[in-house]
Amino acid sequence: MTAQPGSGTRRASSDDPRVMLDIDAGAYEPVPPYPPRTEREAEFYTLADGEMFVNMGPQHPSTHGVLRVVLKLRGEQVVDLDPVLGYLHRGVEKLAENADYHHTIAYMDPLEYISSLFCEWPAVMAFEKLLDVEVPRRAEYIRVLSTELNRVASHALFMGWFALDLGGLTPVLWSFIERDEIVEMLGALTGARMLFNYMRIGGVNGDLNHEFMSRLGAWMSRAGTHIDSNTKLLNENEIFVRRSRGLGVVDRETAVRMCMTGPNLRATGVPFDVRRAHPYSVFPELDFDIPTRTEGDSLARYLLRVDEIKQSLRIIDQCLHQMPDGPIMAKLPRRLTPRPGRAYAAVESPRGQYAVYAMSDGTDQPFRLRIHDPSFVHLQSVGLLMPGNLVADTMAIMASLDPVMGGVDK
Amino acid sequence: MSFIPGIGIAKGMALTLLRFFQPKVTIRYPEVAADVSPKFRGRLQLLYDEWGTLKCETCFQCAQACPIECIDMGGTDTKGRYHVHWGAAETYGERRDESALRRSGRPVPDEAYSHDQPMNLEAVDAILAAYDHDPGSMLQILGDVQDTYGYLPVAALKRISTSTGAWYAMIYGTASYYRHLRFDPPGQSVGICRCTSCLISGGGRIQEALERGLRASLGKTPLSGGIRLEQLPNHVAGASSPLVMVAGEPVALTPETAEPWARGLAPQSGTRAQA
Amino acid sequence: MTSVSRAWGRLTLPGKIIFTLVPLLLAMTVGLLVAVVLVGPYVLQFLGDNLPLVRFVVAATAVLLMSIPTAFIIIYMEMKVIALMNLRIGPDRVGPYGSLLSVVHGLKVLMKEDFTPTGADAPVFTLAPAVVYLGAVMSLLVIPFAPGLFGQDFNIGLLYFFAVSGLSVVGLMMAGWSSYNKYSLLGGLRSAAQVISYEIPLTLSVVGLLLLAGTMSLNTIVLNQSGTALDWYIFRQPLGFLIFFIAATAEANRTPFDLTEADSEIVAGFATEYSGMRFGFLFFAEYVGVFVVSAMTVTLFFGGWNAPFNWPWPVTASLDPGSLGILLLILVAIVPVLGTLLFAAPFWLLRSSMPGWQALIIGFLIFNFVAVGAVLGWAFISFDWVVGLLWFMLKTYGFVFTFVWMRGTLPRVRIDQLMGFAWKWLLPASLLNLFVTAGALIVLNR
Repeated sequence: MTAQPGSGTRRASSDDPRVMLDIDAGAYEPVPPYPPRTEREAEFYTLADGEMFVNMGPQHPSTHGVLRVVLKLRGEQVVDLDPVLGYLHRGVEKLAENADYHHTIAYMDPLEYISSLFCEWPAVMAFEKLLDVEVPRRAEYIRVLSTELNRVASHALFMGWFALDLGGLTPVLWSFIERDEIVEMLGALTGARMLFNYMRIGGVNGDLNHEFMSRLGAWMSRAGTHIDSNTKLLNENEIFVRRSRGLGVVDRETAVRMCMTGPNLRATGVPFDVRRAHPYSVFPELDFDIPTRTEGDSLARYLLRVDEIKQSLRIIDQCLHQMPDGPIMAKLPRRLTPRPGRAYAAVESPRGQYAVYAMSDGTDQPFRLRIHDPSFVHLQSVGLLMPGNLVADTMAIMASLDPVMGGVDK
Repeated sequence: MSFIPGIGIAKGMALTLLRFFQPKVTIRYPEVAADVSPKFRGRLQLLYDEWGTLKCETCFQCAQACPIECIDMGGTDTKGRYHVHWGAAETYGERRDESALRRSGRPVPDEAYSHDQPMNLEAVDAILAAYDHDPGSMLQILGDVQDTYGYLPVAALKRISTSTGAWYAMIYGTASYYRHLRFDPPGQSVGICRCTSCLISGGGRIQEALERGLRASLGKTPLSGGIRLEQLPNHVAGASSPLVMVAGEPVALTPETAEPWARGLAPQSGTRAQA
Repeated sequence: MTSVSRAWGRLTLPGKIIFTLVPLLLAMTVGLLVAVVLVGPYVLQFLGDNLPLVRFVVAATAVLLMSIPTAFIIIYMEMKVIALMNLRIGPDRVGPYGSLLSVVHGLKVLMKEDFTPTGADAPVFTLAPAVVYLGAVMSLLVIPFAPGLFGQDFNIGLLYFFAVSGLSVVGLMMAGWSSYNKYSLLGGLRSAAQVISYEIPLTLSVVGLLLLAGTMSLNTIVLNQSGTALDWYIFRQPLGFLIFFIAATAEANRTPFDLTEADSEIVAGFATEYSGMRFGFLFFAEYVGVFVVSAMTVTLFFGGWNAPFNWPWPVTASLDPGSLGILLLILVAIVPVLGTLLFAAPFWLLRSSMPGWQALIIGFLIFNFVAVGAVLGWAFISFDWVVGLLWFMLKTYGFVFTFVWMRGTLPRVRIDQLMGFAWKWLLPASLLNLFVTAGALIVLNR
């Protein structure tokens, strides 16, 4: 079965039902209907003997979101692959140019929809730099508190997903119990469970309320033991460890060269964390460690996230103890017109460095807004990691990189 | 990872068996509602302020601004006029519980759409065709529709909106701005004049008697339906005081006869609505 | 004529049905009686001459009839047990504790569109679920459920089991190949590789047991294990049991070896393109397979229908109702009245607000429960096959629970690990088991 590019004749659109039956083998091949545009495309879409294409996604059960990967297989082994992006593209950067600064925050939410607060924060921070606003300390502490909660929720979900992609049914539901509790809590604080729209330029939308605090207190008193107990199911499980150890190994140099950040980079041994490397907000005042591992494989990425959850719990605890009194919003005019200029702000999201680069032309709308999404960067490395592995591991490697397609496609 | 093979698997199996007997976290939804925080804003519904009045003024600005027209309203507007329903049942906050119950096979009374009687809209189509479906001549269209039906039915407004392309919110705003346009069949209201001469000659006492008799207060629609008591815009020239009007005809009433008269009005309301 | 039609028209619907059915039934009864009188002796003689054939037909029918409820029970069990392990509640709407949900699933797949994708090899595609289901169901024929309750007692019963359970892989490959879908193809080929690899340790693991038992007849193997739990082969063949259990898990395509339908890798494997009752057959075959594998484990290693301990004498004392004679009639006549009064008395005496008739109703209901319990207990004591079936089902569903439990706990292995495990570990271990058993037999001189 050799499918040459262009030879896979698509079924002609016709009302004649007999045409439906008259298909050749190429009709279902994931080969583009146009002649190859680049050399790489021509090389990829030429099959050697014994190879075949498998089209994974965009509606495969375990591609996270709507990623589509065209795999070139020899038996069960992946020879080559071609990720196809853009199924979730909404043009957020362009939308932001036509919205004023306040509206932009709402557009940022659905990017990394697993941890939305981390998308709002750099945008808000960049606008604050443009406007030269000083954020009240209480607002900063609330931001740190809520985002660290969101980080725990995101990592908990990752642990479940990773296990699900390796075939375990139970961990994902146990993770969702923890995530649901956090998300309900953030719902009590922000008013929404997923797309929070909580950060404001110069502060946050609402102060800590009684319901949030009582839920948080109840959860904090058992979070550590619960998460430890949940991880016991997998961390020592021989099948899980043997499947994820040595899978998708990235070494230090490659990781740095591929611009990886976040847990995926730290799993290779580089202790780079934006919270410490380029401190922002009140992180200099907080005491926490940056866990690293040296293996750089999927197991290391998994275990590193478990460690990060514990550090996040430490940060939450400190935030609760050091929470100052005061206002939660800076005094700002209703209509924001920053002076012309540029600003860059980056935060450490659960996936890595999440950054926003904003340009102002003096009107009340951003002139240009560039979003740097770590998932997109990490997804580049699947081309390095996957060839040579088996079909079963493609999704496991993908899951261990933890991309969110909302952020990748923007 | 220990040195004895299989010990990790055994630990995992023991943990799942332990969880097998632990209390469960599922909430059985239609019977038990989840504990939703008061600040939660994921539900589109009308809110009440601390005095118990509706915060929503049914101005339709939010529905107009929504790019995908997912916002919907149900309730009474501030002038106490009528229930506004616009859109699919599933998008209603107030109807979501009902829908869930209905899906789980329980009988639920369906009251929210009872006012939306199917009606013949050919006259509206004719009027729209006469004005070339031009939203610019909205006032004339609305006037003609009212002349035809006697009032502006919601279904007609919806038809005008879909046909001309004007937002429902705009049409509703236009219709609620002009006083000669009304949303209810005219016979369903009793008008009472509150000019000085009428008040001097006992209009206030007649109004109280009518309010008792109709179980409605002036200017408010009784939520249970029924006949409304309205203030007349001005005294009709040549009519005697105190003036009470039903369907454009003055009725001679005294404070003593008003209450039984109003009680007697109630059973006829069904036929009067068609007048 | 018009009066007849008018009378017909006045009948209600039930009336019409009864009016039609009663004469029909009468005619059929008469016809049947005549047929029995005329043909009956010949038929009986024919059946008596061909008793094995009759037995086979009855057994095959019974096995087919029991397979679907078995699948329903295991599907419900899987849904509920995994839900409880996930800290969910699971099915709880249809029937008591949701127990009829799997039946509703069965009805659902019956009503769905039976769809053959364009490009599929239609005859093979249609035949594949039947082959898979047949492979699962035919294994049930040789399993001894209880003393005297088995389809067929082959002297090569075990060999038949391995042969027939290997049949299902043909069906899986047919399904995978004919679907015209690459995920199906991968699933079918995976199942072929997996099942063929695990057939070898599966078969070799019981050879040691066969040396001990000296027979391949499953009935005899079970009889050899009678006595207490210490006589079971699990204590003489622990390694063999472990290998058999692991290989059987792979054979039944269960987690952690469910690579053929790994939903996070190859969508649904060989079943990707199936819908409707064809999918239902594939689905049911998997669960019947789980039952078969559990039953076979119990039969070979856990004593089959043997009780794990000897009952004390009051339980084993059997009572023949025929020996009571006229006393039995008196018993049947008097005991219900006395029992009802006896159970009604406390309610009537202690609850002054309760009228007498209500107490009598309650007493009667309680008496019925007690009586049914007593009859069951009597059957349990008197009939070997009741107690045997009870023990067999108890043990078998214990293993089914273990399979479900594993599904709720373990992640899936990779295909190379799966094959490596079979060839590098299970095969040498089963050979070791065989040699050790043989050596022990020689040393101990049988």
